[in-house]
Amino acid sequence: MIKKVLKRILTLVVILVILSFFVFALMYIAPGDPAEKRLTSQGVAVTKKVLDAERERLGLMKPFLVRYGEWLFSIIRGDFGISFKDDMPVAPKLLQGLGRTAVLALTSLAVSLITSFLFAVASVLKKDGIADRIIKVFSFVSNSLPNFLISVLLMYFLCIKLKLFPVIAKGDLKGLLLPVLSLSIPMIGRFIRQMRAEFLSEMSKDYVAGMRGRGVKTGYIMFNVIRNSLGHIFTIIALQTGTLMGGSVVIETIFRWPGIGKLVMDSITARDYPVIMGFVVIMGTIYLIINQIADVLSHRLDPRPES
Amino acid sequence: MKKKKLKAKIIILSVLALLLLLMTCFAGLVAKNDPNATSAAAIRTAPCADYPFGTDNLGRCVFSRVLYGGRTTITATFFLVAVSFAAGTLIGMICGYHGGIIDGILMRIADIMLAFPQMVVAIAVAGILGGGMKGAMIALGITMWVSFARLARSHTFSLKKEAFIKAALIAGKGDIYIIIVHILPNLLAPVLTNALTQIGTTMIGLSGLSFLGLGVVPPTAEWGSMISEGRAYIQIAPWAVLYPALATLITIIIFNCLGDAVMDYREA
Amino acid sequence: MVADKEKILKISGLSAAYEDANVINSVSLDVYKGEVLCIVGESGSGKSTLIKAICADNSVSVEEGSITYKDKVVTDLKAREVQKLLGCEIGLIQQNPWGAFNPIRRIDVQFKETFRSHGKFFHAERIKEIFEVLGLKDPDKILKMRPYELSGGMSQRIAIAAAFVLNPKLLLCDEITSALDVTIAMQVMQQLMELKKQQETTIIMVTHNLGLAKCIADRIAIMYEGKIVECAEASDILKDPQDEYTKRLISDVPRLRAI
Repeated sequence: MIKKVLKRILTLVVILVILSFFVFALMYIAPGDPAEKRLTSQGVAVTKKVLDAERERLGLMKPFLVRYGEWLFSIIRGDFGISFKDDMPVAPKLLQGLGRTAVLALTSLAVSLITSFLFAVASVLKKDGIADRIIKVFSFVSNSLPNFLISVLLMYFLCIKLKLFPVIAKGDLKGLLLPVLSLSIPMIGRFIRQMRAEFLSEMSKDYVAGMRGRGVKTGYIMFNVIRNSLGHIFTIIALQTGTLMGGSVVIETIFRWPGIGKLVMDSITARDYPVIMGFVVIMGTIYLIINQIADVLSHRLDPRPES
Repeated sequence: MKKKKLKAKIIILSVLALLLLLMTCFAGLVAKNDPNATSAAAIRTAPCADYPFGTDNLGRCVFSRVLYGGRTTITATFFLVAVSFAAGTLIGMICGYHGGIIDGILMRIADIMLAFPQMVVAIAVAGILGGGMKGAMIALGITMWVSFARLARSHTFSLKKEAFIKAALIAGKGDIYIIIVHILPNLLAPVLTNALTQIGTTMIGLSGLSFLGLGVVPPTAEWGSMISEGRAYIQIAPWAVLYPALATLITIIIFNCLGDAVMDYREA
Repeated sequence: MVADKEKILKISGLSAAYEDANVINSVSLDVYKGEVLCIVGESGSGKSTLIKAICADNSVSVEEGSITYKDKVVTDLKAREVQKLLGCEIGLIQQNPWGAFNPIRRIDVQFKETFRSHGKFFHAERIKEIFEVLGLKDPDKILKMRPYELSGGMSQRIAIAAAFVLNPKLLLCDEITSALDVTIAMQVMQQLMELKKQQETTIIMVTHNLGLAKCIADRIAIMYEGKIVECAEASDILKDPQDEYTKRLISDVPRLRAI
């Protein structure tokens, strides 16, 4: 048991180190000099001397491996470095953003899960009926909608045409609605498609025919089907959190939601490397942990030995 | 019966997709206005005879820009899918055919690629590479090849056990000959189907990055960036947003429909 | 002798399709109360689809004709009425021994759901009675297990118990022993017949095994390419087959034994 947990944690750490190394290396070879960017944004005349001094101060002059090693060790201590942009520590910025992103992402996830679960169950129960067809078309279309597109359309129709919502989101509930909808609609489409397929494949199994043959009520049969699909559904949800993270960057930028996604977009413009690295590491860690948990859960939910 | 219906559906969708491709390829013939020509006299003109989709903030013809933008988006998407397809299939075939250390290493790399949220990596990478369509394509491409490689690998694995491959080996044919002549044609159908289903997703990803300003460099027309630009004055000139949005939507839906239909057809 | 018996099931002119392919062609068949009717045919002959049609499975679409159970036209019933009919009146046992229960949930819970679906309370004594006839020892332990932990023979016995627990009048058995070892299959079949005698159940047994049909059937119907080619008393059909296909089938049996 302990061995298994250790193995999982080790895998997680190895993946994180490899990925962070990759992103770090990319920054090293990428065009654009953060020192120069910073100086010009401050309005300082860029001379070779000033530039070198600034580079030295930001630690950009050290050899690559030394820089990566230093960065890695400070991350382990929870220190995400100092922002190139304003000399403020990065960690509190990231954490504050993360909190706000969590509000947005978790609300969207909850909304999507509840809606798509109900739709998927309805669709499966009335397979090939009118409801099923409508749900299928809806899930297909919404799955084809990019996040940015749906949010712009929602903004246009709800805020401008119908004047139901303010264009720029405030922290309140009303401000949360449009971003949540924009994130949820494509996700609902994807969840319905995946859950529906999952339920249907479970319903084609012999035991469902066996239960039907005993006259077991549809409610009980559906309960069994859902119960047996749960493992796969957890995996599906965990994988979707990745798309959700990407989507929240877009949505936060559009609605000016001050989360970690908006922070990283601002940092990309400013070549604020410590923040970008912090973003990758934090999002990656969360995603990996969620997927590990889903993996454990789906094994727990199916007591059968693996074949 | 079901197969016939699906076949008809695939044909109709293919025609639509082809039409779309032709429209964007020959954008110059369809659209008379220069997509990048600004006109101070015609800023934010509503759709009219000269400008069927109106003009944007700089007086550029939205109709021309939608067509030329389609060329950017669709070309980039096809190119990216094609490269991922080629690279992934090659890697997958090598892994599946050879096994051993090469397989172990490459598949571990694939696992790591999949272990990470794709869009998060794409945004970071595209951001670091400093925008531009090339950067966006690299950002998406580093994870895209994996699905092709896995598919090709598993098919190669099972093909290797077939009698005709064994026969070719006994006949003294070389590995490369076997891979190209015997394995590749037999795994092309499933891998190509995967490529088809990836088109919609790739388009969403690419236009998403462009929307964020991490894709195409202005003034090149691209749907995602057009929507992003037009957003600022959507109240005054909604056409500058709605037409590229509609184009994006239709294109993605057509390709997703086609992908689904081909998948269903192969399963039926 | 058969003629004056009470009809329990009447299939008349039934044509039905399964997964887009027509597999049953104008089949007519009467089943009499208390008998064991074996439907014998090779795979693809439509015998399993016939069973599915009788229990109104929605994967089978009836195109012509009807199935009448007692006074109810099964082919016209609504889903809710079918649910009430199945289990209490018509029981089903499938080929897959693990096909009766959700593999990962406890057996007692699933018995409970079966009882509750018909407005009854969990009746442990009734289960244990049937378990005993089926030679299932330590019923309390078995009830707490999950199907994936059981052998095929055990699972099929429990599936039989689950079918009998509501005391159906008509039992549909679809190749129920073909997935089991020969010795276990024999045992299970004997135990099933014992239960049938006790409960006075009518049985329709689908099988490809003419030898098995010979042992247990009162009447045998031979099915070939979606049609019933011959249906008669078991002894008559074996001694004096009328149809060409039946003749071939019967002449094949000893030949197979010789191998």
